[in-house]
Amino acid sequence: MNRIGGKSNTGEGGELPERFKSMENGDSKRSAIKQVASGRFGVTTEYLANSDVIQIKMAQGAKPGEGGQLPGHKVDATIARVRHSTAGVGLISPPPHHDIYSIEDLAQLIHDLKNANPQADISVKLVAEVGVGTVAAGVSKAHADHVTIAGFDGGTGASPLTSIKHAGSPWEIGLAETHQTLVMNNLRSRIAVQVDGGMRTGRDVVVGALLGADEFGFATAPLIVEGCIMMRKCHLNTCPVGVATQDPELRKRFTGKPEHVVNYFFFVAEEIRELMAQLGFRKFDDMIGQSQHLNMRKAIDHWKAQGLDFSRVLHKPEAGPGVGIYHTGKQDHGLDKALDNELIALSRDALDNKTPVKIELPVRNTNRTVGTMLSGEVAKRYGHAGLPEDTINITLRGTAGQSFGAFAAHGISMELIGEGNDYVGKGLCGGRLVVYPPAETPIIAEENIIVGNTVLYGAISGECYFRGVAGERFAVRNSGAIAVVEGVGDHGCEYMTGGIVVVLGESGRNFAAGMSGGIAYVLDEQGDFEQRCNLAMVDLEPIPAEDDALESLEHQGGDLETHGLVDISHDMTRYDAARLRLLIERHTHYTGSSRGRQILDNWRDYLPKFVKVMPVDYRRALQEMQAVQAAAGQAARGEH
Amino acid sequence: MGKPTGFLEYERLDRTYAPAADRVQHYNEFVIPLKENEISRQGARCMDCGIPFCHQGCPVNNIIPDWNDLVYQGNWQEALTVLHSTNNFPEFTGRICPAPCEAACTLNIDDNPVTIKTIECAIVDKGWEEGWIQPQIAAHKTGKHIAIVGSGPAGLAAAQQLARAGHEVDLFEKNDRIGGLMRYGIPGFKMEKKTIDRRMAQLQAEGVTFHTDTHIGDTLPAKELLDKFDAVVLTGGSEHSRDLEVPGRELDGVHFAMTFLPQQNKRNEGDIIDPAISLTAEGKHVIVIGGGDTGSDCIGTSFRQGALSVTQLEILPQPPEKENKALTWPDWPNKMRTSSSQDEGAVRDWSVATSSIEGEDGKVTAINCVRLDWKQDDNGQWKMTEVPGSEFQLKADLVLLAMGFVHPVHTGMLQELDVTLDPRGNVQADTEQYQTSIDKVFSAGDMRRGQSLVVWAIREGRQCARAVDEFLMGCSDLPR
Repeated sequence: MNRIGGKSNTGEGGELPERFKSMENGDSKRSAIKQVASGRFGVTTEYLANSDVIQIKMAQGAKPGEGGQLPGHKVDATIARVRHSTAGVGLISPPPHHDIYSIEDLAQLIHDLKNANPQADISVKLVAEVGVGTVAAGVSKAHADHVTIAGFDGGTGASPLTSIKHAGSPWEIGLAETHQTLVMNNLRSRIAVQVDGGMRTGRDVVVGALLGADEFGFATAPLIVEGCIMMRKCHLNTCPVGVATQDPELRKRFTGKPEHVVNYFFFVAEEIRELMAQLGFRKFDDMIGQSQHLNMRKAIDHWKAQGLDFSRVLHKPEAGPGVGIYHTGKQDHGLDKALDNELIALSRDALDNKTPVKIELPVRNTNRTVGTMLSGEVAKRYGHAGLPEDTINITLRGTAGQSFGAFAAHGISMELIGEGNDYVGKGLCGGRLVVYPPAETPIIAEENIIVGNTVLYGAISGECYFRGVAGERFAVRNSGAIAVVEGVGDHGCEYMTGGIVVVLGESGRNFAAGMSGGIAYVLDEQGDFEQRCNLAMVDLEPIPAEDDALESLEHQGGDLETHGLVDISHDMTRYDAARLRLLIERHTHYTGSSRGRQILDNWRDYLPKFVKVMPVDYRRALQEMQAVQAAAGQAARGEH
Repeated sequence: MGKPTGFLEYERLDRTYAPAADRVQHYNEFVIPLKENEISRQGARCMDCGIPFCHQGCPVNNIIPDWNDLVYQGNWQEALTVLHSTNNFPEFTGRICPAPCEAACTLNIDDNPVTIKTIECAIVDKGWEEGWIQPQIAAHKTGKHIAIVGSGPAGLAAAQQLARAGHEVDLFEKNDRIGGLMRYGIPGFKMEKKTIDRRMAQLQAEGVTFHTDTHIGDTLPAKELLDKFDAVVLTGGSEHSRDLEVPGRELDGVHFAMTFLPQQNKRNEGDIIDPAISLTAEGKHVIVIGGGDTGSDCIGTSFRQGALSVTQLEILPQPPEKENKALTWPDWPNKMRTSSSQDEGAVRDWSVATSSIEGEDGKVTAINCVRLDWKQDDNGQWKMTEVPGSEFQLKADLVLLAMGFVHPVHTGMLQELDVTLDPRGNVQADTEQYQTSIDKVFSAGDMRRGQSLVVWAIREGRQCARAVDEFLMGCSDLPR
C-alpha cells in the first residue's frame, strides 16, 4: 500500500515495532493507519507516534455493537508480544470503548490521540445505520479529521452467523445520510469522509464518490487478491492458504505478493478513470457528492424491487454559499493551548541529551491530556523503551483536567499534588504517575475520590500510586501497568490482561469481569469481596503465609527494596506476600499514604485480609510456560 | 466439519489398483478399497470451507463437506442420505467420474485434495451392503404418463426422479440391456454391470417400466409416444462418432471404438457375438487414435483380449506435468494424466496426425503419421502445421477410432420428430425448462449438451425431471 500511496490499516491488535522502519528496497511495512479499538491492544505511545492516521474504531460494519474475541490458542508468542499479553490466554475486545460514553468523551479521546501524535489525522470509524449522520456531525464537531462509514458487506471471516446474516446495513445508506447531514450543517469541508464495507470495483468507488465519500476502504478484495479463498476459518488458526494465521507451517502456503495488490488497485483505478470519463468529470473531487448522476436501474424486474424508493439516498442537499461539499479544510484541535508545549520546551535537554530535568508547574482542569504530547516526543525519539527512569520529573499542583498522564512514556514521572479527573493514565506506556492530596487539606485521603473513572484504560506498562479512592472501571483493559490505589468503584480490573493492581480499601461490584490476565490484590476487611467479584474467569486465593514467601526469597538472597519492578512481575504465581509488601512500601514512599503506613506497621494482621484475584486461564498459561522453561533448563543441564 | 486440523495431521490416501499383470487377466473391477477407519480419517481432512468450491466443482452439487463430516463421525447411513439427496447414482460416479470436485477442493491448491470420490464410493457401497438402499415408492400417483427415450444415466436419473414424484414412467432402450454407454461403452473392469442391474431393480420397484430392444424412430415410431404419453423426454446419447477421413479408412480392421467396446461387454455378459462381425485385439498390434477416456477403454480392453502392443496417438500436444494453480484452480486443469489402462503398457504419442492407412488384401497393415507443430496465430487461436520430414509409419492390425462424438444420431427419431437442433447438432433446449422445440417433448443429457460425463448426465436428468414435473403439475417439489 505504501508503494502506491495508499494507506493500510493495522486493525485492532497493534503492530510490530520492526515494521516502522523502512526496508532496504525503499518499501515499508508500516501501516499508515493505526487503529485504536475498544481493546486498546498494542496501543503504545510508540505505535501512535508512528502513524499518519489514528483511527478510533467505534464499531465494525459487519458486526455493529459486538466486541471481538481472540481465542487463547491463536495467541502465540508473536501476537502476545504485539498485544502485550500472555501467550495462550484469550483476549476479549469489549463491545464499547470504556472511555467513550458520550460525544464529549469521544472528543476527549480524539484530543488525547491528537496530542500523542499531532501530525496524525484522527479518524473515527462508524457503522452505516439510520441516524449515523447525526453521529457523524458530532464527530466532525468533536474535531475528528476523518470519519469512516462502514457497511455490512465483507469483513465477516470469522464472525458468527448471526452477525453475518442479521447485522449492519449497506454503506450506501449510511454514507448518503452522513454526507447530507454534514453538508446541511456546514461540517463537511473540515472532515474527510471514508467509506468501506465490501468495496470491490471501480464502480463501487464511483458510486461512493457520487454519494459523498472522499476516501475508500478495501479489505476483502485485496485479501482475495493475495490468496484468501473465504474459508471462514480465521478463528480456528487453520487457514489453508496462510492468510489468517501465524502458524509457520500454514504461512508457507501463502503465495500472495505485494505486486498482486498493486495490480489490483491499478485495475480499480483504471475502471474509475473510465467511469469518470463517461460521466464527464476531470477531477475526482468534482465528482464527490454529485448524487444527481445516480439513478435507480429501471431494468430490475423483481417483486422485492417494487417497494424500493431511493430518492432520499440519492437526495442532493442544497449547499449554501461557501459551504464545501468535500474535504478541503482542517480541524482546529486547540493544541496550541496545551500545557505540554511548555513541558516540551522545558524538557528540551532531556529529549535531546537524556539529561534529567525537573519541572514544577501549576495545573488547572482546563489543562486536558497533560504529558501526552511530551510522551509522543519521547516515543518518536526513543521508541517504546523511552528514556531512563525519572529523566523527566514533573510535579504539578492543582486539579488536572481529563486524561492526566495519558500515554505517559517511560522516563517520565508525573507527580500531581491535588486531584485527577477521568482517564488518568489512559494508555500508560512506562511512565510513573503519583497522585495525592496536598498535605494541608483536611480531607481523609483513603475515604475520598482522588482520580475519576476509567483510570489506566488500556495501559501497557508503567506504575502509578493513588493516595485515595478511584472511580469506576479502574484499570479496565490494563495490559501491564502496576497500580496501587486505596479503593475502587464498580467494574474494577474489567477485561484486564496483565499487570498488578493493589486495592487497599473497598472495591465496588463486578470486580474482575472478563479479566483474563494479570493479578490483583484486594484488601477485604469486611470479608465480603467474594460477593462483589465477578468469578466467571478468576479464582480468589489467600496470600500464602509470609514465612514461606520470605524464606523462598531468602534462598534467592532477596532484599526486597533492591528488587526492581522486573523482579516483582517475574513469577505471578508465587512470592505474593513479598510482592504486595514491596508495592505498598513504594506507594507509601511516593504518596506518603497513612493507609499504607498503617498496613505496613500491622503487616501480620493485614496480610491474611488480602485476597489474590487470579485469572484461571492466566494461571494455566503461566504454568505451561514454566513447565516448558523447566524442561528446557533440564535439557540444557543434561547436556553438560 | 471433519477435524479442524485434520488436513494437517493426515496424509491424503487413495484407493490403489491391483497390479497391472494381475488385472489384465480379467474384466472385473480392480480398485482396492480403503478400510472403513481409513475412509473416516480421510473424511477428517475436509475443512468444511466457508466457500466450498467442491460444491460448484461437482456438476450435481454434491454436499461434499457434510458427508465427509458424517463419515468422519461414523454416521454412514446419514451420509448416504445426504449423498443421495443430490445424486441418484453415487456408485456410478464413485467409479467412473473424473472427480472435478477434487480438482476444486481447497486442498488441491497443494495437490492433496480430499479423496472425495473414494469416500463417495465407500458410502454408497456400504449402503448397498447394509441394505440401506431401498425403493422409495411414491405415496401418491399423479396419473400422468411419461416416456423417456434412452436409458443412460440421464434417462435413469430422470426416470427415478419422476417415478418418485408419482408419475408413471416408461423407459425405452434400443439395446437389449439398459444403461446406455455405461452398459456397453464403459468396460466392465472400470464398472461392473451388476451395479446397473441392482439400480434397475430399484427403479422397477419404484414403478419404472423398462422397454428394451425398442428403438424409437425405428422399431417404434416416435409419433406413437407423442400420442400416448403426457410428456416425452429424450435422453439418448451423443452417438455420432467423429470419423477419420483419410485414404484407407475403408480397410478392414479400422473401426470406431463404439463398434469394438460393446462386443466385449456383451461377451462379459455371456452373449455370443456373430463371428462375421466379431472383433478382438488378440494377437494384434493395436493403434488407438484419440487420447481421451474412450481411447483408454480401448487400450484396457485390447490388453485383456491379448493385444501384442497398443499405441495411442493424440493430435494435441502433450499437456504439462503440473498445472499453473493460480490460473486453473478451482477449475478442471489441463494436465498430464495417466489412466489405469494407459498404465497397463500402452505407448503414447502426442502432436501426431494420421495421414493415411495402408493395407493388403483389404486388411489394414500400417498407418502413416506425421508430427504436428502447434502455434498460436495473431488472434490467439491455436493452429497446427505438419512438420516437414517428420512422417513415420506404425505397424497396425487393428485401428480403433476414439476421437470423440460429434452429436446425437440424427436419422431416425430426431428426424421423424423434426426437433430443432442447436448449431452443434444437439437437440436444442435450455437448462431451465429442458423443453425442445416440440410441445411436451424434453431433452437432457448428451443428446442435449453433447458428449459429456456421467455426472453431467445425472444432473441434467434430475433437473429435467423437475422441469417435466412442473410442466405437468404446475409446480414441483423435486430439487433442481
